[in-house]
Amino acid sequence: MQFKDQIDFIRQHIKKNKLRVFMTVLAATMGTAFLIVLASVGFGIHDTMRSLMLENRLVTQIEVYSDDLGAEEAEEMKGIDHVKAVVMHQGANAMQQASLGKYTTHGNLLVTDFKEEAKVGFALAEGRLPESTYEVVVGNGFAESLIDESAAEKLAEALPEGSEEEPEIPSYKGELIGKTFTYQLGDYGTGELYDDKTELTIVGVAKKPSKDWLVDNKIYADAALIPELEKIYKQDKKEEVTDPLFSSMLYVYADVLENVKSVTSELKDQGYNVYSISEELDQIDVFFLALKAGLVFVGTIAILISSIGIFNTMTMAVTERTREIGVMKAIGAQPKLIQRLFLMESAWIGVVGTVLAIIISYAVSLVSNWLLPIIVGAAIGEEDFAELNVTFSVIPWQLVVIASAISLTVAIVSGWRPARKATRIDVIDALRREL
Amino acid sequence: MLITVQDINHSFLIGRKGKESNVPVLKNISFSVKQGEIVSIVGRSGSGKSTLLHILAGFLKPDSGEIVVKDTVTSVFNEQQSAQFRLENYGFIFQNFQLMPGLTAFENVELPLKLKGMNRHQRKDKVQQLMKHVGLQSVQDHYPNELSGGQQQRVSIARALITDPPIIFADEPTGSLDSETEQEVLELIQTLNDTRDITFVIITHDDEVAQRADRMYRMHDGILTEEGVPNAV
Ligand SMILES: Nc1ncnc2c1ncn2[C@@H]1O[C@H](COP(=O)(O)OP(=O)(O)OP(=O)(O)O)[C@@H](O)[C@H]1O
Ligand SMILES: [Mg+2]
Repeated sequence: MQFKDQIDFIRQHIKKNKLRVFMTVLAATMGTAFLIVLASVGFGIHDTMRSLMLENRLVTQIEVYSDDLGAEEAEEMKGIDHVKAVVMHQGANAMQQASLGKYTTHGNLLVTDFKEEAKVGFALAEGRLPESTYEVVVGNGFAESLIDESAAEKLAEALPEGSEEEPEIPSYKGELIGKTFTYQLGDYGTGELYDDKTELTIVGVAKKPSKDWLVDNKIYADAALIPELEKIYKQDKKEEVTDPLFSSMLYVYADVLENVKSVTSELKDQGYNVYSISEELDQIDVFFLALKAGLVFVGTIAILISSIGIFNTMTMAVTERTREIGVMKAIGAQPKLIQRLFLMESAWIGVVGTVLAIIISYAVSLVSNWLLPIIVGAAIGEEDFAELNVTFSVIPWQLVVIASAISLTVAIVSGWRPARKATRIDVIDALRREL
Repeated sequence: MLITVQDINHSFLIGRKGKESNVPVLKNISFSVKQGEIVSIVGRSGSGKSTLLHILAGFLKPDSGEIVVKDTVTSVFNEQQSAQFRLENYGFIFQNFQLMPGLTAFENVELPLKLKGMNRHQRKDKVQQLMKHVGLQSVQDHYPNELSGGQQQRVSIARALITDPPIIFADEPTGSLDSETEQEVLELIQTLNDTRDITFVIITHDDEVAQRADRMYRMHDGILTEEGVPNAV
């Protein structure tokens, strides 16, 4: 029998039992759509969690902790595959103050490697990079952090008692480039500054960080400044100095997020204490993998229930057509052909059910992503909930593939027994039946 | 010989499980059919005629004995081989026509060609031609329940003929027809035998029908014996 004729044959049967087949398809559709929509919530929340996690973070950054990290180790790490840059940050473990005229800030000095920083997006808004020991670059928020303390106090006093009004903080408004400010170290314990002062000249201002909410008020300096400050520290500090003033921290940057994991594990293998986002992502991914598997499992139960319908419909179809099947066999139809015709019919139910289910699921997903944030927002009384970008339901193609595979397999398996039954129909018995 | 049947024995197990008894239905049946003959097998109800036909057609396996058709031993066929052999060599006419209720007369006749995998175009021509030949042209789009018994039997004869099989088995072909229609059908069989050289094996309980064959066998309690016919050549 030609394939086209087989299709014809099946179409005829389906036409004859429209309502019954329709109900069966409906059940299959509902089961499959249930699975897809249910699992899509797992995918949606996973996506939301991931994007929330990745949003506020330099995602390719890997922090390396170790007692003695130096330029040598940094150099070595640059050799690891997929490492884009290795930046060593050295910061002072002491109280610090920068003052420019009447303005002061507790600015943090950060000694860094400008060449490596440039590779991961550090750029200047104006000016140039430091060329000598006492030249520095400041963050774009540095001026704003320079505050006229005495003026601020006066303003605060001037306000009436209990006033909610916040006075405008009198911060530095002038030009930065070329200005020289005084940098002092101090003792955290006593809160007093040491006497020795260091004059630092601003030669550049760093560009605004890519994340809006980051305030960069740092003072970026070259490593040449370290010995000078160490000297002051040793002289002025009252107690015995055991720890060095500067401690260092290495940031390794992978080229892309996908490679963070491999770089992280490579660093771990080399014996470093490492933290990267891949660790957290891994945990989340494992959790959501389990959740999705659970949801798919529950959805599969719905499909299994709908398969009872297919089994029923096909069994009825075979019983009803026993005489016809007998005639076909008498004329010379192969048992294989009979089986194929019935399997194709149950597969057809599965295919139509699945296709409809996919369409419906996408629609449901779309509507719920639009509607649910509004409803939830209204329920918890937070209007900007919708702006949080929470996605409730995501249907990736993998889910569609998994659901289709399950649904089609179940449809064919449940049509299997009726089809087998059809092939076993005894010709003589069948012919003896009345119409 | 087109068909040679040698020492066929068959018995049915009847009764409840554990207390079955063996009822012999066919006893040492041997006969043969020549190419182009109309052979009838006549006998009373329950004598085993249909059972013999079922064994010949391969619906049923004999307990013992051998059937050779067109120099092929068909009694050893498995289900698939048997089906294939039927499709290529046999046509069937049944007492109650056994048409597909969901198919039109035309589609019923077309069915065996579909099973053979013939394409739509060739099928159409062939079916149309045959429908004309058996006088069904005017009712080709009718469904079986819109046809008279005689017309239905013509459709089923056309279905048996459509693949040009060398042999047609007919089990009580006129059993459900009135005597006038019976004559028509028998004449049609006669004509087809003459013009197309098709061999017929006709099973009937009616001596009159049986006697119109070239040769006639009588089945009595599972034993087959040949009898003379008036119009023997
Ligand atoms: N499947 C079966 N199981 C048990 N006994 C059977 C079976 N089929 C037929 N028989 C018995 O075999 C005998 C012959 O039956 P068969 O149908 O061949 O008779 P028949 O000659 O065709 O009769 P009729 O003219 O009424 O059609 C009968 O006694 C019947 O009861
Ligand atoms: Mg009979």
